[in-house]
Amino acid sequence: MTRAAPLAVVLIAAALLVTFPYWSAAWESSRFATTVLRDMLVFAIFALSLDLLVGYAGMPSLGHAAFFGAGAYAAGITGQRLATDQLPVTLGAAALVAAVLALVIGALVVRSEGIFFLMLTLALAQIVFAIAFQWTALTGGSNGLSGVGRPTLAGLDFSAPDRMYVLVAVTFLGVALLLWSLVRSPYGRALVGVRENERRMRALGYDTARLKLSAFVVAGALAGIAGALSAYSQRFVSPGDAGIGTSIQAFVMVLIGGAGTLLGPVLGAGVVMYIQRVLSSAIGVSETVLGLVFIAFVLLARQGMVGVGRAAWSRARSR
Amino acid sequence: MVASEIPMIEIRDLRRAFGGVVALDGVSLAIGEGERRAIIGPNGAGKTTLFNVLTGELPPSGGAVRLRGKDITTLRPWQRARLGLARMYQRNELFAPLSARENVALSLGARAGPYRPFVARPRSDYLAADQLLEEVGLLGREHVAAQALSHGERRQLELALVLAQRPRVLLLDEPTAGMSPAETARITELIGGLGRALTILIVEHDMDVVFRLADRVSVLHEGRVIADGSASEIRGDVRVNEVYLGKALAVT
Repeated sequence: MTRAAPLAVVLIAAALLVTFPYWSAAWESSRFATTVLRDMLVFAIFALSLDLLVGYAGMPSLGHAAFFGAGAYAAGITGQRLATDQLPVTLGAAALVAAVLALVIGALVVRSEGIFFLMLTLALAQIVFAIAFQWTALTGGSNGLSGVGRPTLAGLDFSAPDRMYVLVAVTFLGVALLLWSLVRSPYGRALVGVRENERRMRALGYDTARLKLSAFVVAGALAGIAGALSAYSQRFVSPGDAGIGTSIQAFVMVLIGGAGTLLGPVLGAGVVMYIQRVLSSAIGVSETVLGLVFIAFVLLARQGMVGVGRAAWSRARSR
Repeated sequence: MVASEIPMIEIRDLRRAFGGVVALDGVSLAIGEGERRAIIGPNGAGKTTLFNVLTGELPPSGGAVRLRGKDITTLRPWQRARLGLARMYQRNELFAPLSARENVALSLGARAGPYRPFVARPRSDYLAADQLLEEVGLLGREHVAAQALSHGERRQLELALVLAQRPRVLLLDEPTAGMSPAETARITELIGGLGRALTILIVEHDMDVVFRLADRVSVLHEGRVIADGSASEIRGDVRVNEVYLGKALAVT
């Protein structure tokens, strides 16, 4: 197969993804499907950003929602306080605030390992959650931040549901492309080196603490962008967006889909959101189903869906 | 001392204690550029501790280490590596699931640094990696994961990783440990054939390897240097025979 063929497939799939609300418009459930797909893609961005830490750099952060929440609040609050709906302003604020927060939290955690790393990321994220929950004047406290406006860009208004979807889909593709080029670059390969043997990376001359911190900042900024998209989509930010539940949700997506791959977190986000948003209206025990699915993957398929697929593929080929 | 005689590595009164156990009790050594120095001594003499302090993985309790006259005592391991200090580990410290080529490419990439985010790794890196793999005898094994290589091959890959650092000083921590006689001969030949500009410090139990590779030998015993001289002088030293060589030679 030539190199052009896979590229053509990817381009066609990308075009179909972005235009989903338009070609599905005749379906009875097109609107609902668009909303679900939009939220899947928001969480796919979030899970992808977490996978840069968990799967590539080997840093299993349990506090990634801190950056998602920070981005969501930053987008909502700058939009309201500055009375602007300009996408570069609110999305830029989200990425910047989340990146700065990631710099601070990252500086505190990158030298710890194992259980200490898990506990530190969890504890620091809970502090962010507590601030969101209690600083009522800024965040709306337990009531959340309501009335978040949808953005505009160069005269393009993203208020309508189908346009909001397109904004999310295009951003998702941009983030996926960014991460794809990042993980195959010397930078991404160095992160994998840190994951496999940090001590040896230091002995080779890499400043691994700084390298891990930089990954933390990149992942934090991308999580902030996902948070902003969530705030625009829901027109609402809840303190729960910065809480442990959201952190674990992303972690489950990464593990179910396959850590250390780019396809995995996207598939994981799709499955988890499908169970939570579609299956939950059909059956009352969807959270139990999610738990069982998660346990099954942890026990039987540590490499996630992508790992299962690869194993099946190599079995089929060797036959 | 004139400027041209500044030693490549100068260790002065180096001390390191673990609680009450003194591992290094005032070690002083000067190793000239291009010299090949073996450090021998019984188990627990402080050889591995000395290496860990030299690479910066352990801070010393006292004393100083200089590299070409520059005090590196407080530098971090990665900073020392950038100044040309490379260590071949006794136990394999490789990137287990990555290919042999990728292992070497990571070592080669340290020089340019990791902050090259949006470009694929240059082809020249892989060509250089393959060349190094050929030099250490791993031609044809480029795509094999480090964990799938045999023990001897992993040692060869270890050597390729440290050579990829283009070091001034090479610390070899028991390079032939756990190897078959054929593998030992192969790696000894590889090390012996390295450029003479390279300064080599070698810790080794196999006396044949020591006397084949080293210009000078220092004997470490209970954290102190008890003898220091050319290979033949050390062979004849009565104290050395008492604490170490007699036993080692009697075994082999």
